[in-house]
Amino acid sequence: MPENAVVTVKAIKAGFKAIRFLADLGIHEGEKIRIVKNDIGPVIVDVKGTRVAIGRGLAGKIEVS
Amino acid sequence: MPKQCPHCGKKNRFHRHRRDYRKFKKGLVFSERLSKPQKRTKKQQIFNGHSIEHKIAFLGNPNVGKSSLFNVLTGSHQHIGNWPGKTVERKEGHFILSDEYFSLVDLPGAYSLSARSEEEVITRNFIVEEKPDLVCVIADVTRLERTLFIALQAMELTENVAIIINMKDLAEKDCLDLDVGILEEKLSIPILYVCAYEDESIIRIKKFIYDSLHTTKYTFNPAMIVYSRKIEYMIKNISNQIEDRKLLSEYPTRWVAFRILEGDQIVKDELAKEYDLADIENKIEKLAKEEQFDPAVEISKRKYNALHHMVYSALSGFEDFKETTSDKIDKALLHKFWGYLILTAIFAAFFLITFYASSPIITGIDWIFVQFSSWVLTSLESINSPAFLNSLLVNGVIAGIAAVLLFLPIIFIFYALIAILEDSGYLARSAYLMDKVMGKFGMQGSAFLSLIMGFGCNVAGVMATRTIKNKRERTTMIIANSFIPCAARLGVIAFLTGIFFQPWLAAIIMLLLYGVSILLVLLTGLIFRLFYERDDPLPLILELPEYRRPRFRSVMNLTWERTGIFLKKAGTFIFVASLVIWFLSNVPYVKPTENTVLLYVGMSPVIVTKISIAEFLGRGLEAMTIPLFGFDWKMVVPLIFGIPAKEVIISALSILYPGGITKVLWTIPQVISFLLFQLTYAPCFATIAVIKSETKSWKLTAIGFFYPLIVTSILTVIVFQIFSAIM
Ligand SMILES: Nc1nc2c(ncn2[C@@H]2O[C@H](COP(=O)(O)OP(=O)(O)OP(=O)(O)O)[C@@H](O)[C@H]2O)c(=O)[nH]1
Ligand SMILES: [Mg+2]
Repeated sequence: MPENAVVTVKAIKAGFKAIRFLADLGIHEGEKIRIVKNDIGPVIVDVKGTRVAIGRGLAGKIEVS
Repeated sequence: MPKQCPHCGKKNRFHRHRRDYRKFKKGLVFSERLSKPQKRTKKQQIFNGHSIEHKIAFLGNPNVGKSSLFNVLTGSHQHIGNWPGKTVERKEGHFILSDEYFSLVDLPGAYSLSARSEEEVITRNFIVEEKPDLVCVIADVTRLERTLFIALQAMELTENVAIIINMKDLAEKDCLDLDVGILEEKLSIPILYVCAYEDESIIRIKKFIYDSLHTTKYTFNPAMIVYSRKIEYMIKNISNQIEDRKLLSEYPTRWVAFRILEGDQIVKDELAKEYDLADIENKIEKLAKEEQFDPAVEISKRKYNALHHMVYSALSGFEDFKETTSDKIDKALLHKFWGYLILTAIFAAFFLITFYASSPIITGIDWIFVQFSSWVLTSLESINSPAFLNSLLVNGVIAGIAAVLLFLPIIFIFYALIAILEDSGYLARSAYLMDKVMGKFGMQGSAFLSLIMGFGCNVAGVMATRTIKNKRERTTMIIANSFIPCAARLGVIAFLTGIFFQPWLAAIIMLLLYGVSILLVLLTGLIFRLFYERDDPLPLILELPEYRRPRFRSVMNLTWERTGIFLKKAGTFIFVASLVIWFLSNVPYVKPTENTVLLYVGMSPVIVTKISIAEFLGRGLEAMTIPLFGFDWKMVVPLIFGIPAKEVIISALSILYPGGITKVLWTIPQVISFLLFQLTYAPCFATIAVIKSETKSWKLTAIGFFYPLIVTSILTVIVFQIFSAIM
């Protein structure tokens, strides 16, 4: 995903702990997020006006469109 | 003074009001759960004639300013900074307004009340078990939706919720306009909008807390958020079952039902003691299958949707997905190449500044004490006081005080620099950057923060591991923290390298030593990975705060508070330890008579006339330590005394070497060997105590002590043998 793109979360295919933790932060299916940084290391997303860094492995399990 | 309580007419004026009283005043009907007596673990105190004590908890996301507000209200200095998760323990304080006593508790930041991580468990337990009279949820205007989420959760758990929305100054700068009235009306709880750093805020917040405890204005509607039909049906179902059986009736039934539906292990375990949950669990599973969702996620989602609408109507000027200044700064500071260069530069500078800025001060203090001691000594001798007393005063008392003061500059400078990094928001970024590096050793970036905190004091480092959500990584970092040279050990490095090496060489040696300990930490990560089975690893999820200009006030608060902890520990413990060492090193173990004592050093007998307890101890070990590490007894003894607290090493050295250590006394391999050994050999007693309290395991505590000792011994032997072979 290119940086600065605003995308919608389609599905999160990760362990239930991670899914629930992300949901508490407002990252869940149907939510719009902006990708702030996505080159190496964790991916930073902009959700609800906050910046959240998500480990690369987990970020790969978030399907967006 | 009236003999009766002015609020309920009870005879005794000094008693606690349960929240029943407020419900009574509000005119609400008692429900069964509300009138049930509440458990109080602590004994009730009487507060200097203040008839009422209100217990208020500050709850909220990390980094919303809970501790700042807490400090402003209570006037006590408390830990603040700009990386999420600094307050790892709850802090208490109080204020008094119109003859009522308000005790305040500052809880660790939490994103939810679902108790998914250590600090969330602490936070929720407090609210569930201690039942504060008012839960004050602190929110941040600049991220209102996120920070109000936990407020909605709190409202399901208790009726006594009020919200303080903080960071008004930032909103004004960003042209955000918040209509508090709309929010108040929609949520039907008291809300206040403030900036923690405005002077008038203090009285506004106090008055607000007072008013929300005494108001009758708000009627709370527990079913404020209605979930989808299927979920509501399920909730009804579970509620009926637990209500019929009167289970966990001290909590709101609806809340318990939600916890079960969300699969909260703690609540489920509690229930399972009395009631078989299999039937309910089956139903929940069936529902999840049918609808293809995770109920917990669905519930959070619904809350966020409700919040989105609320915030949308109350807050104007908020622009979603805007690139902020912080984002632009991050483009450089988090750059895939430059970011790491900057990180290295910042931390190298950090340690060099701590080292260089403190070492002249240390030398200065040392010089002053040497002068002072000799002056005291000569004046004592001039009045013919006994030699024993002179030595006690000069080498015991004065050296003890010196030992404490020698560390002050390092500790202060270190914590001041950390506080600046913290408050600016860079520390969280360093965790982000280090995630990639730490990941190679089986650890997450957030472990880096505990590592850094450990450089000040291992106790702080171990405490900071609470933000690590993965159990294996947390245990690893708790144990590995002993490898991180705390400020006390930096003091020893600064002291000794200052004597033996040129300044430039001293700096290189210091950085090398730090490199060794970081390497040991990382290797520990690898080793521990072998012993732990792979659990569900929770990957890095870290909020990056906005960059802020560090505030002098919070930096100073932070620095003083941490320095204060050191002084307290040092003032008693180190001072007493210095005296004990003096006694052990000066009181003769064998009375110095005409008879001489024969001692075996290595293989050759040495004849000495007088020997102290410490010397006896050290000489006993010498036979082993001289060939292996190159330590003679005067080097062994400080290391033994240093086990309880590393600060003692320097004072022990100065007691054992009354004339001071000079270049000729130790060879270079000996110095290197000593520096390396003291760097990592054992955690201090305070650290051992927190390892025990954090891991709740004697086995891990024992590992925490012996593992560094064994690793360090092996490493030091190797290095010493190599150095003595080549030099
Ligand atoms: N501009 C501005 N900054 C604030 C305000 N209140 C707090 N801050 C800053 O916000 C940062 C975090 O404050 P803390 O009080 O440590 O936050 P906390 O909620 O206790 O955080 P945790 O203990 O991690 O949960 C600090 O850098 C404060 O200086 C405010 O009203 N305005
Ligand atoms: Mg705090």
